[in-house]
Amino acid sequence: MSLPEFKLLRPRSVEEAIGFLVKHGNIRVLAGGTDLIPSMRQKLFEPEYVLDIRHISELREIHPQAGHGVEIGPLTTLNAIEHSEFLRRHYPVLTEAAATVASPVLRNMGTIGGNICLDTRCLWYNQSLTWRKACGFCIKKDGDLCHVAPGGTKCWAVFSGDTPPALLCLNAEIELASPSGVRRMALRDFYTGAGDSYRKLQPNELLTRIFLSDSSADLRGIYRKLRIRGSIDYPLAGVAVALKRSDGQVSDARVAITAVNPAPTLITGVAGALEGRAVDESAAEAIGEMAAKTAKPLTTSALTPEYRREMIRVLTKRAVLAAAAN
Amino acid sequence: MAEFTIIGKPIAMVDAAGKTTGAGKYTDDLSLPGMLIGKILHSPCPHARIKRIDTRRAKALDGVVAVVTGADAPKTYGILPVGHDETALAVDKVRYVGDNVACVTAVDEATAENALELIDVEYEVLPAYFDPEESMKAETDLIHEGKPHNIEKDYHHVFGDPEKAFREADYVAEGRFIANEVTHAAMEPHSTLASFELDPHTGNLGRLTVWSSTQVPYYLQHKLSLVLEMPMSQIRVIKPLVGGGFGGKSEVIPLEIIAAVAARAARAPVKVTYTREEVFWAHRGRPRTIVDLKTAVKNDGRITAVKARVVQDGGAYCSYGVVTILYSGALLGALYDIPNIQYDGYRVLTNKPACGAMRGHGTVNVRFAFESQLDEISAKLGIDPAEIRRRNLLKPPCITINGLRVQSYGLPESIEQVVERSGWKQRKGKLSKGRGLGLGCSHYVSGAANSIIRSDMPHSTVNIKIDRDGGVVVYTGASEIGQGSDTMTAQIAAEVLGCSLARVKVVAADTDLTPIDIGSYSSRVTFMAGNATLRAAEQVREQIASAAARKMNCAIEDLVFGDDKVARQGLAGGSGTGEAPVPTQPGATASGRVEGQILRGSLQQKRTEEGPKDRMSFEEAVVAAIDFHGALTGTGSYAPPAEARGGKHKGAGVGPSPAYSYSAQVAEVSVDEDTGEVTVHKVWAAHDCGRALNPVAVEGQIIGSVWMGLGQALQEEMVWKDGMLMNPGLLEYRSPSAVESPKIEPIIIESIDPEGPFGAKECSEGSLAATIPAIANAIYDAVGIRLHESPFTPERVLAALRAKKNAKAINMTQGVDPLAPTRFREHGGSLCFRGKGPERHRLDPARRETAGEAGGDD
Amino acid sequence: MKKELIELKVNGRMRELAVAPSKVLLEVLREDLQLTGSKRGCDDSSCGACTVLVDGTPMLSCTLLAASCQEQEITTVEGISEHGSLAAIQKAYGDRGGAQCGYCTPGFIITVKHLLSVNPNPSDEEIREALSGNLCRCTGYSQMYEAIKAAIEAEQRGLAAL
Repeated sequence: MSLPEFKLLRPRSVEEAIGFLVKHGNIRVLAGGTDLIPSMRQKLFEPEYVLDIRHISELREIHPQAGHGVEIGPLTTLNAIEHSEFLRRHYPVLTEAAATVASPVLRNMGTIGGNICLDTRCLWYNQSLTWRKACGFCIKKDGDLCHVAPGGTKCWAVFSGDTPPALLCLNAEIELASPSGVRRMALRDFYTGAGDSYRKLQPNELLTRIFLSDSSADLRGIYRKLRIRGSIDYPLAGVAVALKRSDGQVSDARVAITAVNPAPTLITGVAGALEGRAVDESAAEAIGEMAAKTAKPLTTSALTPEYRREMIRVLTKRAVLAAAAN
Repeated sequence: MAEFTIIGKPIAMVDAAGKTTGAGKYTDDLSLPGMLIGKILHSPCPHARIKRIDTRRAKALDGVVAVVTGADAPKTYGILPVGHDETALAVDKVRYVGDNVACVTAVDEATAENALELIDVEYEVLPAYFDPEESMKAETDLIHEGKPHNIEKDYHHVFGDPEKAFREADYVAEGRFIANEVTHAAMEPHSTLASFELDPHTGNLGRLTVWSSTQVPYYLQHKLSLVLEMPMSQIRVIKPLVGGGFGGKSEVIPLEIIAAVAARAARAPVKVTYTREEVFWAHRGRPRTIVDLKTAVKNDGRITAVKARVVQDGGAYCSYGVVTILYSGALLGALYDIPNIQYDGYRVLTNKPACGAMRGHGTVNVRFAFESQLDEISAKLGIDPAEIRRRNLLKPPCITINGLRVQSYGLPESIEQVVERSGWKQRKGKLSKGRGLGLGCSHYVSGAANSIIRSDMPHSTVNIKIDRDGGVVVYTGASEIGQGSDTMTAQIAAEVLGCSLARVKVVAADTDLTPIDIGSYSSRVTFMAGNATLRAAEQVREQIASAAARKMNCAIEDLVFGDDKVARQGLAGGSGTGEAPVPTQPGATASGRVEGQILRGSLQQKRTEEGPKDRMSFEEAVVAAIDFHGALTGTGSYAPPAEARGGKHKGAGVGPSPAYSYSAQVAEVSVDEDTGEVTVHKVWAAHDCGRALNPVAVEGQIIGSVWMGLGQALQEEMVWKDGMLMNPGLLEYRSPSAVESPKIEPIIIESIDPEGPFGAKECSEGSLAATIPAIANAIYDAVGIRLHESPFTPERVLAALRAKKNAKAINMTQGVDPLAPTRFREHGGSLCFRGKGPERHRLDPARRETAGEAGGDD
Repeated sequence: MKKELIELKVNGRMRELAVAPSKVLLEVLREDLQLTGSKRGCDDSSCGACTVLVDGTPMLSCTLLAASCQEQEITTVEGISEHGSLAAIQKAYGDRGGAQCGYCTPGFIITVKHLLSVNPNPSDEEIREALSGNLCRCTGYSQMYEAIKAAIEAEQRGLAAL
């Protein structure tokens, strides 16, 4: 399967990249390529231009900011995130999530920015052109119906990144650059909750930085992932937990889930439920219930929706207990 | 035990260096000057009549050389003589999503792919059948003419008096088992390169040469001849390295014919290589199988009768289907002593890719059911699972009730070994919560005693040539597909001739050079091609011996061949022999051979200066023989003996084998009771392979089989939705990665078969079938649930756990959205094929005017 | 499609090539440079058969645009054999049954070569983890572990001899 034809642009700086984004309408940004290239092979994207930002070295670094957390360049590979001593010490939920993405070779290529911007996935969407044509296409691409929720007009393609739930737990912010300047937004506001137009990224914008604040540092973090195969697989359900304890009691707690909704989702009410308490079985169980209620898995992926929702409950409970214990 | 120099030693594959350096060539690595790339247009409909195909727009595209359709080669073919139901490209109907409609040849892949989009096909959609039990009720719109109720074939066998045995049984177990569909997923996607020569006499297209990823060059040559209507003598099939077969390349796959048809039309060499998705559509894997199984036992655990009704979802074409459904019944016998058997097998057509032969052909899914049910029985009767199997052993040599001859039988020792090594007696039932041990057994043929092509020809023939350089060239049609066929051949030739392995060159699987061999499937190569090699080598050795005996003034019987020498008996162990290291790589001894190198023709002179002696070097002996005979050649062949060819009932031809391998396995698993996830910690796998000719290769085959069984047991499944394969890629079809692959301890059991070459039997397939029930039984031991459907995905395990505990009912197959389907496999209904989608495709003129897409990050 | 002139450094040699921008590295290696050791096994970046080293790091050559790899050092399996003889890992894979059909083997050789360069004495767990991005359908991976250990021993013996 060959890639569709396109013209390749290879900017060396953010300015140059933005310039290309402004100039060319039908353009896709290529970072690690682990999501875009297979999708282009399936003709899910047939852009006129591909903006290859792999060599913009300024976007590739982890910059600890004294007293102000850390800035992460979006081109930092998942492998570099996984092996960053600084991140492991201060933001362990992120390194743990990064270490579970796909497989070692894919983490050498895939970037944190790419994982944040990852296209939503569905068994009816991530298929070849020939395959999709055979079922009359789907609402996310080329078609006008949804095979997952027949009769519905909403796309349920599922967000399947591993690091975004961890970043949500860390209250991460992102910076988007465009010709009109930069804007900074909370990562949780970046996702729309729709499977097709799943992120708020304007055609001329580029993700340029990820911020983790000092106030989110040093939370105990755990990431748990449901997958059938021990490697390579996208998550079928994922849970990130970050919590802070003082004197045996929880002083702050956040839980986010992935791979069961069109967006990675922060569970509301977790801090309220846990703050000032010691984490025990029943408290963890209650958080699991809250997470399972938030999860709305459909038949976008392998394994049944009900099982995946049940696993959100089980994995959340386990992750909360583990975070409280370690 | 006999002493061998090369047999029984762990030896690196003779082609290993090519594989580890990347220098070895697989079909897709080949190219020819002027070569075009072929791409196939596949059906978007599961069942439809083709009303019209218009290829004009595609032909007009720059860079396109030819477009072929069914009309270009309408002759039917099929791997079985009774199943000629395929054509190179669809002639009137398409029968599954992915069926082959047309082929474009163009200067490069992208051009060919673009041209596919320009072929206009008008389909008249027909009702389609996806479920075998539904398909069996069909009255109209049959998938093939002449197959009422879409039944490809059904067999009804009764051996002994099963009804009586069921009446008199102390206990009868009964249950339905379902094994879902799996596929080979060999790492190499199929590839074929076809090239015609111009005939110097006629000036037209002449001989055809085809390089292809095939397990059976001979069958390909045969089917090409049929479809292209050319004599076989005008077709040469060459098998380069093959990147795994497992049965998926054991028959003629559509692209192999299509490439030749396209090359004929394009008048240029054409290479077609499947995408991974196309590999899934070509399929020929293990069918989804529904087994209704009933077993009668006495209180002492003796099995008195088995009754099995087996329905296989065969897909849209016959393929090996008739053989598969027969194996499922026949191999109920020959593992245990079962006096009464009733078998009802149905091979059913459905509108999905054809199923065919896959490792453990026909026996795996039924074995899962049988060994699981035997475990149930042992629990019911309170007899240890190992003990109940011991009480039902065969007493060979014997012929089973269904006509299978068993001679060597290593099952008892296999059971002993796994029981001992796994600590079964001490640990079974005493492991920590959620952890358990399970036992399963299996067996398999060492080649089919009856070829699928009815004829008296030998199943294997091997030629050997030795010229004055002392190089031994073995010509065999057996196909190396990674299992070690070439290495086995070289070992046997070297052992018989007493020469070093480095001297032997194997020329394999090239129909111009190598004699007919019916290929690498049904685990027949070691037994059959091995025996043929043995006989060919013996024939050559005789010639060398008679010349050497003359030179040494002794009787032929006094000569011993070994260590690259021919010596008089009693002297073989003398100085200069015995300790020479066995070279393992053809090139490895290059420098060592220089001093022994004898230039062609110069030896005669050298020899005349010497008188009679006690030993000669291999080269001296060869040259002595050549002086009398000319270049040495020998031929050996193998045909299974009449006694091993089975009974006379309808379908008796499938199942008989000259020898059966035996396997026993213990699996240790743990089950997470909250998630249903199963972890396999270790599998002890004992396999009776007769004699292990190359232990490192035998262990590799045992481990590989067990591991593939593990994949089917836990995570591999082809998921269907209205004839759409939902997971046609290696990302979603999950063969195990290194992380979750358990330790597998292979244990070689050598029963030394009386007819196998050096006593060898098969080792590449038999182990697979035992793994699935061993894991199922271990799960039962761990958490007390009996799984009746494979793979044992966490949702199935958790659903069973919940059901057992009577805990809060959780319907694992129900979606959250009320609109969502109740079962994944069935959901979506008729929405498929009804959307407006195709009109909105990029090649649709209306859509081309719409604006481009939004940009964004990767 | 319009081709562009690019320079690629492959196995230590600089090569000038005219390729279309949509060509992935794997295609260029196999078709333009005849380095057919790297294999295509899937189309969805899952199998690892095409793994090569890019600036010393294993990457999937089917997922990299060739033109994007300019100014980077590419090592394919053909670049692993040392001075025309088998590298220890290649010899060990042959001896221990690490390669059966051999189709996935080049990808594994690259992966293992990298593993041993960053971690000369990996634990069993580390080996499994490192190999988990490459799929093999023949071996069940077991004999690869033995091969890797044998190669480590051979390397150490070799070093001791120096």
